[in-house]
Amino acid sequence: MAVTVKSMHRPDPGRTSYLRAALKGMFLTLRHMVRPHKITQQYPEEQTELSPRWRGTHRMEVHADGRPKCVACGLCPTVCPANCIRLIGGEDDQGNRYPIVYEIDEFRCIFCGMCQEVCPVEAIHVGRDFENAEYSRDRFVYDLDRLMNADYPVTLLWDPEDQKSE
Amino acid sequence: MAENTTLTIDGDKIAVPAGTTILQAAQSIGKEISHYCYHPGLSSPAMCRLCLVEVEGAPKLLPSCTTQVAQDQVVFTKSEKAQKMRTGVLEFYLANHPLDCPICDQSGECDLQDYVFAEGREHGRGHEPKRVLGRDDFGGDVLFYGDRCVMCTRCVRFMDEMEQNSLLAVVERGDRSVIDTFFESGLEEANWAGNVIDICPVGALVSKDFLHKARAWDLEHTPSICPNCSQGCNIDLHTRDNLVHRIKPRHNSEVNGHWICDYGRGNYEWLNRGDRVEAPMVRTTEQIEITSWNNAIESLAKCLEAKKGDVRAVVSPFWPNEDLFAVVNLLDVLGGGDVVYRSAKTEEELILPGFNGLARRRDLAPNVRGADLIGCSRVGDDYGRGGLEDVINHTGVILVLGDPLEEIPEDLEFKAETIVYLGAYISSVMNAADFILPVTTSIQQEGTFTNHNGRVQRLWPAVDILGAARPAWSVLGELTAILEGGHPSLSKVDQAFQALANRVSEYAGIAYEDLGDRGAQINDTISVMKD
Repeated sequence: MAVTVKSMHRPDPGRTSYLRAALKGMFLTLRHMVRPHKITQQYPEEQTELSPRWRGTHRMEVHADGRPKCVACGLCPTVCPANCIRLIGGEDDQGNRYPIVYEIDEFRCIFCGMCQEVCPVEAIHVGRDFENAEYSRDRFVYDLDRLMNADYPVTLLWDPEDQKSE
Repeated sequence: MAENTTLTIDGDKIAVPAGTTILQAAQSIGKEISHYCYHPGLSSPAMCRLCLVEVEGAPKLLPSCTTQVAQDQVVFTKSEKAQKMRTGVLEFYLANHPLDCPICDQSGECDLQDYVFAEGREHGRGHEPKRVLGRDDFGGDVLFYGDRCVMCTRCVRFMDEMEQNSLLAVVERGDRSVIDTFFESGLEEANWAGNVIDICPVGALVSKDFLHKARAWDLEHTPSICPNCSQGCNIDLHTRDNLVHRIKPRHNSEVNGHWICDYGRGNYEWLNRGDRVEAPMVRTTEQIEITSWNNAIESLAKCLEAKKGDVRAVVSPFWPNEDLFAVVNLLDVLGGGDVVYRSAKTEEELILPGFNGLARRRDLAPNVRGADLIGCSRVGDDYGRGGLEDVINHTGVILVLGDPLEEIPEDLEFKAETIVYLGAYISSVMNAADFILPVTTSIQQEGTFTNHNGRVQRLWPAVDILGAARPAWSVLGELTAILEGGHPSLSKVDQAFQALANRVSEYAGIAYEDLGDRGAQINDTISVMKD
């Protein structure tokens, strides 16, 4: 690679007036005093619209009778790259396979959304939510009840009208 | 065996013995042909129609599981005709299949999943309602999901040909046919019915014990030997999170074929016992203190040095040959002494009539024969209790390996001056013991068991060692080396086995490395199977 040298020609400091530039700067300040242009978002009074494909904290879908839709097939803990899902399956009194323990460690989670993608019964979803501050670290392991009671909308990883992305 | 028939399979010319089927010939060169009804341990009815292959000159496709090879035959397993037929057959299999893989226990080890993934249609075309049968408790450990069944009848043939107690049958005809039992009791009276769960290629027959417990792909498989009787069936231990979740048979034509009994299959919970000794402990004046291995072994060596010729030992036939021999060897170095063991014995053998020489044996411990050959003598009754009067009244040193001596009351006074407990489990004998040395169990270490027939078979570690436990042969080997003065200690299990083979004539000539996963017959190195 050829090396080129570019020499800069700057005006001699002793012979240059900075008056014009200073006035230009002051005028800008003056303009912002008269007609302010706010960039800072006034969160939490002002909320940003989240994208429909925003992947945030999880949510478990439930049946009409309040049972979780999850059938404990074990695909989400298998596919999870962060290994943050703990699942112990079992059988309820009606003979349905269901999760006895279903926990997601939201600290470990990298919000890739693969659990939602792999779920054969569309039970686990990533949600359109990000406000998950807590007072203690252990509260970040979300258990089944908490996932089922989540009230935020779920992420649409794809357009339901166009499931094959055509 | 004379290899006297040559044929071509998918362009590969091979020679196989006459009488081999096309499917076996293909398997011998690593070509899998999809099949359901064929099972190497059972007869072939050629009814699943999935293994059909094209043979040059034959007007129709032929079932490869029953068609024997012929000279200069040309077989195409992947020709367009054969492929199209298999795709069609698989579509019929899915006509009534519920596709409930997410809740099916077979998922991940299911032949229907594999074959449809490999050769099935990409999308189903069926829109008719599917037949729904629900599930049925077959008794024993077997649960039947009728919807998932592919009617291969392996289970029916197992009960007919192997157990020879036809408790299962196909009822109804045509598309309504279904596997069923005759009476309410179902498979309750069978002793080998658990095998139908293994041979079921789909999730129709599943284990009640294993139901929803783990996914097939989560389990690690370790070859091992069934520790529940002296038959020495070859098994795979399926473990997850350091716990044994189930026992599955491993093929060994010399011992158990493809089968294991329900007793051995279901009796694995004790392998997961958590009440384990985890650190070496030595008694000082009144209390017992945790110490290092070096300290424990050195002080024990000093103690034994002073008591030469005054040592008795109780061992457990649940421990491998190497460990038992290490005890006998140590006592020899110390000037001799009796080594006794106790073992539970049941009333009768549970024979599998269809497989020669396979039964749940009377001795309910894996290494009774090994203990006998190595020079331990059996005491006690058929419940594995009693017989320890000599030991309790012995005044010198008592060395206990494995046997928790559980029926001995806690307040019983041993007459012995020193009691050494080499054990894996916490037991009441620890109250009296002066040295407590944690040792590994047979599923945590390498070693060998000798089955009732004198077949030496290897074990592999399936779960992690807890705490500071070490294999008994290693602990006792170090101890013996100190007592003998500078003799090099054993560092590997094959050395421990070699020491045994050098001393016990029955094991002479057997090399640990040559045992493989098939084992070897004692005093008969020629029959070592290499597969």
